[in-house]
Amino acid sequence: MELSTEPEETNKPKKVLCIEDERFIGELYIRALTKAGYDAILEVDGAKGLEMAQSNQFDIILLDLMIPNVTGIEILRILRDPEKTPDFKAKIIITTNLEQREDVRQDIEKQADGYIVKAELTPNELVEFLNNID
Amino acid sequence: MSKKSDYLSRARNQFFSILLWNLVGLGLILVAIWGVLRTFFHPILSSPYFGLILGGSTFVISLFLAKILSTRLISPVQALWQLIINISPNGNLPPPNIDALKIGRELVADLSTQVLQLTASTEKSAANPANGDLNRNFIANNLPLPLFILDDQEAVVFANNHAGDYIGINPKDIIGKNFYMVMDMSFPSEQTLDKWLKQVKDTSATASSSWERVRLNVLDNHPTRLFDLAAYYNKDNPDKQETILVVFDHTKQYSQDDQAINFVALSVHELRTPLTLLRGYIEALGDELSQNTDPELQEFMLKMSATAQQLTIFVNNILNVARIDNDQLQLQLHEENWGNIVVSAANAINLRAKVRGINIETTVAPDLPSVGVDRLSIYEVINNLVDNAIKYSANGKVIKIDAHLSNDGMVETTVEDFGLGISPSIMPNLFTKFYRDHRNRSQIGGTGLGLYLCKAIITAHGGNIWVRSNFGKGSTFGFTVQPYAKLAAEVKNSDNKEIVRGAHGWIKNHSLYRR
Repeated sequence: MELSTEPEETNKPKKVLCIEDERFIGELYIRALTKAGYDAILEVDGAKGLEMAQSNQFDIILLDLMIPNVTGIEILRILRDPEKTPDFKAKIIITTNLEQREDVRQDIEKQADGYIVKAELTPNELVEFLNNID
Repeated sequence: MSKKSDYLSRARNQFFSILLWNLVGLGLILVAIWGVLRTFFHPILSSPYFGLILGGSTFVISLFLAKILSTRLISPVQALWQLIINISPNGNLPPPNIDALKIGRELVADLSTQVLQLTASTEKSAANPANGDLNRNFIANNLPLPLFILDDQEAVVFANNHAGDYIGINPKDIIGKNFYMVMDMSFPSEQTLDKWLKQVKDTSATASSSWERVRLNVLDNHPTRLFDLAAYYNKDNPDKQETILVVFDHTKQYSQDDQAINFVALSVHELRTPLTLLRGYIEALGDELSQNTDPELQEFMLKMSATAQQLTIFVNNILNVARIDNDQLQLQLHEENWGNIVVSAANAINLRAKVRGINIETTVAPDLPSVGVDRLSIYEVINNLVDNAIKYSANGKVIKIDAHLSNDGMVETTVEDFGLGISPSIMPNLFTKFYRDHRNRSQIGGTGLGLYLCKAIITAHGGNIWVRSNFGKGSTFGFTVQPYAKLAAEVKNSDNKEIVRGAHGWIKNHSLYRR
């Protein structure tokens, strides 16, 4: 909400970082997002993804939970820690197919801005979800 | 111990010899009489009175011997009896003279000493309660099970060492603390410990109960504990030690069940990844081919999408059934607009209907109250019911969904098809797991999980599910969910911010037990 009050922001395409180790799924998401006018890039490695997310140049982070090197849950924790990631503004959407224990899931959901089971949504439905996010 | 059994065997030998010598004595007397009679009164032997005289005199002698015998044999018991009367309150007998005993003297002396010691210690502990406490602590700490004692405020007044080990806290540190703060538990049924205690305190003087599969919620990095819990309540306990709780740990056994669901969860993940891709590519392909007007190609696309959707429903069913069977299905009931849910669920599955040339007609009554439901689970229910309606529609070309207020104030939704219908003989088994209609098992696919799942989800919502069918003409499945206002009252009563429920219709008392 704060971002959209600045007039230039509305014209600029929203930048999306997709941290997803299933390359094919990532590519499908990037394709659908780009078509819908987003500026989207894919990162398959957790450590690199975290570094990029911390650079603060994205509006939305799509975060898979099972990814190599640094897990999605760790990334989520670091991004939400003001000492480790100051002034973090991006929305974090968890994208996963992994079944969580209910309490773990609730814990993750509390920290994130959205939680998606990938098998439930097609790429276009994901775009629709992001369009409605704020 | 060995000393006492020596005494016992000696006493037994003494009894035995008395008995033996008395019998031998009797025998000798009889032989002597016989000898005397035979020598001096030979003619009398043939007299008919002889039998009478001999029998009579033998009887008299036996009586006399039996009298002596029984008096002797009873004497140790009599001595003990006299001792107990002597030491008991209001006892008016003098102490027995043990030295005068002819048999079992050592045994009686030893038992008497123990009886006297026992009396002395009971008197002491009655005068000094600390001694009783010591005994209780001794017993409780040597009991190989975690044990807690609570007072009337449900604060811990005692916890044994095993209890401390079990929850990883020094037992002394939890004395005086509220039990629910110490043990953050989830119960597998609506009857939780606190509800039960509340009930019995109002209605009973004593009561006992037990629970299976209670889960101890622990802090991060600690392994979860799963156990059975037994409780005994006694209102009149003078020290206000009202409730005794014993924990029977079954973590190993119960977590094996959990591993079974972990296996299902991992399999589901492995199934979902290709499914996500398949649906993604089908959609991308559809986008690319949207300009193509070849009707056959368009139909193929539609069928592919519908098939992928069907597979998604199936995968979710497997996962949810595994959750239900392991008590791990949890629903979060939120206030929702029922019309919106029904319409969007119907739209989502419309693709599958369209492929079969079936129209879904949805009617939502105006002014329905908002409902308390778990949105995703309700989607599963509607998906499954409509999916069944599609499968069993045969030549029927319409499926009617109708949402309205039922007579009992619940929000009712029906899914009606005009297809094969269900024969009355199989109706009672419809909601049973793995049950399928044998007549068309070979023609119509399915796992027999769908209706079982629907029933579990609806029951957990506090609603009902039913079926009505006209064999050969079609079936109507209906289910009810609660208006949110009803649930809101429940939320208010339980101090909860949200309502979390399991498959078997229970409420997990979430925030109440949170540390």
